[in-house]
This record gives sequence, structure tokens and C-alpha cells, in this order.
Amino acid sequence: MSQATLRERLTRLGAPPRIQPKVERSLPRGFEVVVTPYGDALLRQDVIPLPALEPNPGSVAYIDTETTGLSGGAGTYVFAAAVARPIECGLRVAQVFLPQPGMEAAFLYALQAEIEPAQAVATFNGSSFDLPVLRTRWVMARMPGELACPPHVDLLTLVRALYRHRLESCNLRSVEERLLGYERDDPIASSLVPDAYFDYLRSDMHPLLEAALEHNRLDVISLVHLHSRLLARLRGGDAGMDAADWLALGRHRFRRGARADGWRALRNATAFAKGESAATAGLLLSRRLVRRGSIAAADRLLDWLESHATEDMRVSIARARLLEWRKRDPLAALNVVEGARRRMPDEAELLDSRLVRLRRKARKRASATLPLA
Amino acid sequence: MPTFPDFVSANFQGDVTLDHVIPASVARFAPLPDDLRPELSRALAARGVERLYAHQADAYNAVRRGRHLVVVTPTASGKTLCYNLPVLQRLLEQPDRRAIYMFPTKALAQDQLAELSALKHGLPIDLRVDTYDGDTSPGRRTAIREGGHIVMTNPDMLHAGLLPHHTRWRRLFSSLDFVVIDELHMYRGLFGSQVANVIRRLKRICAFYGSSPTFICTSATIANPLQLAQRLLEEENIELVERNGAPRGERRLIFYNPPLLNREMGVRRSSMLEARRIAAPWIRAGVQTIVFCRSRLQVEVMLSYLRQDLAPRLDAGQRVRGYRSGYLPLHRREIEAGLRSGEITSVVSTNALELGIDIGSLQTAILVGYPGTIASTWQQLGRAGRRSGSVGVFVASSSPLDQFIVRHPEYFLSSDPEEGLIDPDNLLLLAGHLQAGLFELPFEDQERLGRADVHELLALFEEDGSASRSGGRWFWSRQAFPADEIHLRRIAADNVVIIDTSQPRPKVIGEMDQFTAPVLLHEEAVYLHEGAQYHVERLDWEEKKAYVHPVEVDYYTDALAAVTVQVLDTFSIPERGDGLSRNHGELKITALASIFKKIRFHTHENIGSGPIHLPEQTLHTTGYWITVDEDLWRTLGRETLEAGLQGMAHTLRHVASLRLMCDPRDLGAVAEVRSVTTKLPTVTVYEMYPGGVGYSARMYELHRELLEQGAALVHDCPCLAGCPSCIGPLHLVEGAKKACLKLLCASALPV
Repeated sequence: MSQATLRERLTRLGAPPRIQPKVERSLPRGFEVVVTPYGDALLRQDVIPLPALEPNPGSVAYIDTETTGLSGGAGTYVFAAAVARPIECGLRVAQVFLPQPGMEAAFLYALQAEIEPAQAVATFNGSSFDLPVLRTRWVMARMPGELACPPHVDLLTLVRALYRHRLESCNLRSVEERLLGYERDDPIASSLVPDAYFDYLRSDMHPLLEAALEHNRLDVISLVHLHSRLLARLRGGDAGMDAADWLALGRHRFRRGARADGWRALRNATAFAKGESAATAGLLLSRRLVRRGSIAAADRLLDWLESHATEDMRVSIARARLLEWRKRDPLAALNVVEGARRRMPDEAELLDSRLVRLRRKARKRASATLPLA
Repeated sequence: MPTFPDFVSANFQGDVTLDHVIPASVARFAPLPDDLRPELSRALAARGVERLYAHQADAYNAVRRGRHLVVVTPTASGKTLCYNLPVLQRLLEQPDRRAIYMFPTKALAQDQLAELSALKHGLPIDLRVDTYDGDTSPGRRTAIREGGHIVMTNPDMLHAGLLPHHTRWRRLFSSLDFVVIDELHMYRGLFGSQVANVIRRLKRICAFYGSSPTFICTSATIANPLQLAQRLLEEENIELVERNGAPRGERRLIFYNPPLLNREMGVRRSSMLEARRIAAPWIRAGVQTIVFCRSRLQVEVMLSYLRQDLAPRLDAGQRVRGYRSGYLPLHRREIEAGLRSGEITSVVSTNALELGIDIGSLQTAILVGYPGTIASTWQQLGRAGRRSGSVGVFVASSSPLDQFIVRHPEYFLSSDPEEGLIDPDNLLLLAGHLQAGLFELPFEDQERLGRADVHELLALFEEDGSASRSGGRWFWSRQAFPADEIHLRRIAADNVVIIDTSQPRPKVIGEMDQFTAPVLLHEEAVYLHEGAQYHVERLDWEEKKAYVHPVEVDYYTDALAAVTVQVLDTFSIPERGDGLSRNHGELKITALASIFKKIRFHTHENIGSGPIHLPEQTLHTTGYWITVDEDLWRTLGRETLEAGLQGMAHTLRHVASLRLMCDPRDLGAVAEVRSVTTKLPTVTVYEMYPGGVGYSARMYELHRELLEQGAALVHDCPCLAGCPSCIGPLHLVEGAKKACLKLLCASALPV
């Protein structure tokens, strides 16, 4: 059906033409038009001073996106993305904005141009959110090939691995507060950000959307400092780490295959000798020793641990198990079990079946070694 | 001559209304196609397939000619090869191509996975075949997205999982050559109309990635498989393959109507007890028997009966098993295997075993109650009968549908009266799926969704803020995930949920549409669910929750709702017949339930009543109505006219549901002595889904047949003055049955 007849029909039905006033949308503050092969994109560029970072993460592009929804899927758009990248004279903070959904190809082109010079990208929860959404947008805008993305590090993963035991929440706001020592308020609840953008599409720039964009820029700046902070922790160069910190670091290092670093971190945790984390680290170490076949070393470690962590049933059980099954010494194991039952009467029943078995084995051993009368 | 397991009608007091031997049919074979890849021929040979049945070869050739396909085959006729063969051939030729298999249920997909895995085993390429549904673990999901050659899924997953996230499935959609739709006849009515829109969206996504898949459908026998496929797929180039080449043994088909206990009320002896009497001797004799029940509760009751009957045997629990949804998958697999090996003598099942799950072929099938459609009945009967000498028995209950079928076996045996109908253009459905489609991909200015013109709807969405225009295209512009708001198998999101509070942890036992709930779920109502009685303690209308607990009382409740029908638009000119006129159109139905009565079973005395305080319900829908001309109604007194009209409404609703393959609950019927629109006595049969899914127009076309069948139902009922099995609960009005019959026959041929 042609446009004209439909309009006629509607008018006949009593719906006169309603010419929508043409919206003259203003641009958000600081943005300018840049020309791309796919049309115009809106870009805001700033260079801000960057204090010397120790350690320095190097050439990394820090990305954060603002989207029209959190559910993902083909109908969730990225309407703004900020990229922070250290350059010679400071930190380059670029931000791309999508003034209408039809201009997505140019938006993505401009965004990629900001990422390309970096040797790595870093995000906060990008593995499961920002990057998949950007890849989807790339396909939807019919851009050629794939979104070219250098190696990626997800800072949220690192925060979770290294600091979860210290944080009640791992969202960026509390991470900033607890790890970087500064507080800022969300100017707009994150669930309202998409609506602020849709309002913009329908009418015009709204202060809330300006605030959300500003927030997006501050987020990537935070990421730069957070990365440096996390690297310091990863290298074990942080002052004042306790057993739990070392344990988290050791586990993370092992997961990533860095055995020597992991070993060192777990040793440091064990050396605290008191508390649950130290015991856990010691148990992890002893398990690795056993796996390697260093039974004597594992035994020494557990012996030492048991003399310090006297109230940790796990340690006593691990030691009893080692003595019973690896060293084949039921008498020594029985001693450990009986000692543990005396020290920890509340948990004694955990050892009941072990105790019975060890006693039986000990009796057998005794009768076997008894000289014949 | 095969020997059938004994069924001696003299042992039973009821009527055997049909005892019919269906002769055996011989297999018709065709050689393996010439172009079939040798490795595929070898894989088939390894599974004992040296040649094909005629329909399998026809199917293969049609697909190779580039046509879409509908194959109509009965149960156990090797239908899976109809699609597996062309798909595997293509994958051997071009291993980078892909296929989606869509099954109506997860269980079917699981079963087909096992079947296909066995076949692909002998092939030289590494084919990845997976099911993708709600149970698929996240780890496997990624691998399937990247590498799955054949993805087996269901419409719900396609709708809410694959399409909205199509960029992750780029690999699949850009190489998609085949979409297999198994059990096509299941996609009818509301569900079918929804799935038709899912297919419209699927085709849009395929076009975006540059693929244009061939659709291969299989269907049970219905009247209009090709028409249904054309409507569902919106394709013209579809070939229908319906000559079945699979052999069938000789089998005996028996319809049994239990004896009348109360002629006045039309009450018959329980179909459960009669079925038990038929099944028990067979099971004792070791004849492999399947018993189909209508509800999960019935399955459990029948199971305990049959185990008792086998009682002195210690392994009764092992030899007679139940099968229904709610059993764990592993448990089900074990039962299926036990049936195939013969270790299990008997299984009592809901319709869960009706669809293509492989349990081998049993010797006898007993259907307790009519499964609702002829297609389902044949599928259930088909569970017994690949070999010669099988027996299928249908035991009727007292419901109108059962009574119509059992007393009219000729209707059942006639050539496929049932039609699968859908209306993908129902405005409400279209709007929902348009939003989902808009989320998936922007709409070009003049683009359609399938065949539907959606331009006006898009403009409407823009006003509502769901869409925005940019660069000549429409974009989704809300935060919501629109596919979440559409449930393919459910009428509306705001159904009333029925919660059983008798257990420590309250349990949802069902739900009901908002329009019907005030009549059946008002406070103090006795609600019947799967044969059990529940008392409604509280109905929270705001939250749409009804709290119930099981009871056993000797009464039921009947709410009186004042229903008015207002015709908003007529789609035809009223057509006058002899005494009756018909029309169809758009309606506004208003129902106000104000009072309910408690009525004692058997005696039907009124033992109490109470008020209902619920808001008036309105439903905008389509309907078909019959008006009674003055000459005719003047011959009936006012009271008999009213009763006659009500009987007619009840009857028509039931016979229409038979023809249209829907549940009687999908239709509503109301009788008015003087309609506000027609100013005449009027009976209206309307669709329960807002806007309708195509039943009304078809009822209008089938007008005469519906009247004839309605008349036959009432006429042949042995009750004296009308009973719930024919004209509904109207037996207290004298002359109701006669008046109803007079109305139904007014313009029909004398019955």
C-alpha cells in the first residue's frame, strides 16, 4: 500500500495528519562532529594530566559503555562509550556519542579508531557485558569483519579474585571507595540512564543525560588508577597484606598458571600461622606437596601448622589422613586424632569413624608385630 | 489371519459402538536415490536400511528439487528419515551448512537427538548435533553456537533465546539451509498463530544474514496440512507428500461406551473403571498394553488399579509403569527402554507418550476418554499396531465430546474432518511479535512482518515511545526485552494463578484466563482440577492469585454471570436461512458474575448460595452468531426458548471445538433471548483469545455442518430430557431437549 492511500484512509477514519514538530536536538556539551567513511560521528576529546603510575600498565585502552538496557540482545544499543588511553603528555579521554540509532556505523568506526593504537584493552565486567554488546553492535551495523580488539583484561575479574574477601560488593563505586580511596555519588540511578537517552531521542538534551555522560568519562579514568592498584597487588608489592590477601593472590596466581608466584604467595599466607586463611593456605601447599610426592615435606608442614593452628579441625584431619594413607602409620595417625578430639571436643564426632578404623588398624599392627609366644 | 488379544463384548454391559478391523497395508518401497552419497548409503545399510519407503523417497526428491515440504505420516512410519536424509546429504556435500530442527517439546528433541546420533555415527564427517533448550548448560551453549551443525530446539527457545540474540548465532543463521518443523499439526490455534509470527521473525533474521532456508514439516493426518503449512510459513512453493509407504499390520478398533447408570442425567459408569476391566486381563496375560489417561492424576490412579490387579505377582510394580511429565528424564529413558525390550508389560501415560518418542510397538492401546482430537486419537492408537494383531480401544467418558465421537464412529473414520487454523495477523499477537522483531532488527520504512503490513503499528509504537525513526528506519527504543513479554503457549500474562495451600510449601496447580476466573474461581467456589475438588479460600484479584485447598464435598458450585454481547463490527451481511440466520464479526463481551449457587450432586438440589464481588470483565474478540427468526421462536414458549438456546450454545461450542481442533475452553458460548444488537434470540460462539485466532470465520463457513452435528449429538443421546452430555446442565427445564433440537434442526436437514 502506498503512503498516500494509507494517509487518506487514516484521515477518512478520523485521524487527521499529525505533523510532528521537527526536533532540533542539541549536542551534548563538548562534542564535535568528526567525519568517518560511514558518515558523521560525535566525538569529545580531552587530554588530562596523569600522575606517574607505579606500576605503569602501559599502552592500554580503558573502555566503558553506556547502553539502552542490561539484558543484552540485538535490540540493546550502545549509545555512548568512553575510552581512556595514556599518551605521552597525559591521559587521552575520548568519548563517542550516538545521536540517533541510524548513525551506528560511524559511531563504531570512531570508537575503534580510539582503541586501535593501544596494545591491550581493559574494562570493568567487559568479558560478559561491554565487549559482547559491542560485538553485537558491530554485526548489526553491518561493519566489515569483526570488531578488532587487542588482548583484553577484565578488571572486575581481578577485583573479585584479589579483594572479594574484603568487599561487601564488587561494583565500581565500592571498589573506588575501598581501593582508591575516593567517593562519588551516582548522579542518576543506572536503571534510569537508558530512559534519559530515549528522552533525548524524543525531545532534546537533558541534564540527566549530561550527568550520565560525565559519569561515563569518570569511570574510565578510575579504571586507569584501579589497574595500577591491581598490578601492585598482583606483584605482591602491596604493604600491609594479611593472610587472607596472600591466600587470594596465591589462588589467583595458580589459576593463571603462575606456579612460582602462587607458591610464594601461599607461603606468605601460611607464615601468618594463625587464623583460617593461614591454615587454608598451608593445606593447599601440603596438598601440592603430596601431589608432587614430597610426603615428608608435607608432613613437616602439617606438623608445624597443627602446632600453630591448634583449633582447626581441617588441619588435624589432613595430617591424620597423610599419616594413615601416605605414611602407613596408623599409630601416629591415631595420636593426632586423639589429640584433636581433646582440643576440639565440640567437633569430636567428625572423627568418630576415623577413630574406630585407626584403633582397629593399630590393634592389628600391634598383634602382627607381637613376637610369637 | 492374526490373532487379536481377546475382547468379548458380551463381558461388558456397555455398548460397543464400533468393532472394526482395519486391514493390513503392504509396504511400498523405493530404491535409495541415485545421488545419495555412498557414505550415507553405507550408514543407512549399517542400520538395516537398504531401501526407502515411497514417502521417504518422495520427500527426499522434493527437497532436492528445492521445494518446501510437508510430509503427512501416521505414527511409526519412519518420518524422521524424511528430513534427516536430505539434511545429512547436504551436510556431507557442504559441511559448513546448518539446520535447525524445531520440536514442540523438549522431550521430543531429546529423543530425536538419540535417533540422529545413532545414524550419524557411521558418517565420515564430524557432525555436531545438539539440543538447545532451557536445560542446556552455559558451557555447552557457546560450543553449540559456534559449531553445531544441527541445532534441535523448540519454538519457545527460538523465540526468546535464539532470535533476540541472533548476533551470537551468526554462524548458524548465515549458513542456515534447513528448518525442520516436526509435528506441524501441533502449531494451530493460539500457539500456532504465535509460532507463525516467530517464523516470520526467523525469516527476517535469515534474510539479514543472507540465508533462505528450506522448510521441511511433518504432520499427523489433518484435513488441511498444506493450507496450515502455507499459513504458518507464508510460502507457496510447498510440496505435500501424503502417500504413506510404510506397512501396517491388521488391527482391530473398538469404541466402547460404558453403561448408563442414570438415564435422566446421562451419567455413565466411570471410563476409568471400565478401562481397568479391559486392560487387566491383557496385562495378566502378558500382552504389552498402553493405557492413555487424560490427566496426571488419572495416570496415578489407573497405575495403582492395574498394579492391584496384577497383585499376587511380586514384580507388579516393575511390569506396570506410569509415564507423565514430572518424571525425571532418566527415569523416563529407563521406561522407554523397558518397553522396547519387553521387560515392561504395560505403561499408563498421559499424552506425553503420544508424540514420536520411540517405545517400539505395543500390542494393545486403551484410551480412557477422548484425547480431544482425531489426530491425537490416531497417534495414541498408533502406539499399538505396527505388527499385525493389535487392538485399540477407546473408552468414552460422559463428556459431550466423548459422547459425540463414541456414538458417531463414522465421523471419526470419515476422511480427516479436523482443521488446523491459525491467524498470525491477530492484532494483539502481531503487535507483540512486531516489538520483538523490532528489537531484533530495525525495520525499513516499507518493510512488512511476513505478509502483514505493520507501518501503522510502527507509527503507533513511535507515539508510545517504543520505536524511534532514524535514517529511514525504525528502531526499538525501550529498555525492555520484548520477547519476555510474550508466552507462546499462554493466553495472557495476567492470568489468575491457582495456588494449592494445603501443603507446607504452596504449589501452583494451574492458571485461568481473567475472563473466566470470576465464574470458576470466586471465593467459596468448588473448583475442579484434574478430577479433584478444590475449595477456593481467597481470590486476590489485584495480585491475580486464587488460593485453594483440596476438599471432598457432595456439591458443586455454579456461578451465574450476566453476559452481554455487543457487536462492534460485522464481517458479512446477515444471511437468512430457514428459521436461522448466521453472521460473524467483532464483539465486545461483558460478563458480570454476581451470585453463585451450591448444587448437590445427583439430586441437584440447591443447598445454598452467596454473592460474588468482582469487577465486570470485558473481552474484545471475534465470534459467530446465529439468530432465530420470529416465525420460529414464536412457536416456543419463552422458558423453553431460553433453555433451547442455552442447549444450542452448549452443543455448538462442543461440536465446533471438534472441527477446529481446539479445546472447548478456547471457545465461549452465550445464549440471549433478545440480543441488544440483533434484537432477536441469539446464540453467539466466540473466541476466548482477544481478537480471535481464526475460528470464528471458519465457524461461519461451517454453519450448516455445525448445526447438523449439534443436532446429531442431541438427537442420539439416550437421555430423556437433556443431560450434561448433550445440551448441558439444563435438565430441570421441561422441554429443553426438544426445543434445542427444534432450533438446531430448523435449517438443517431432518436428522
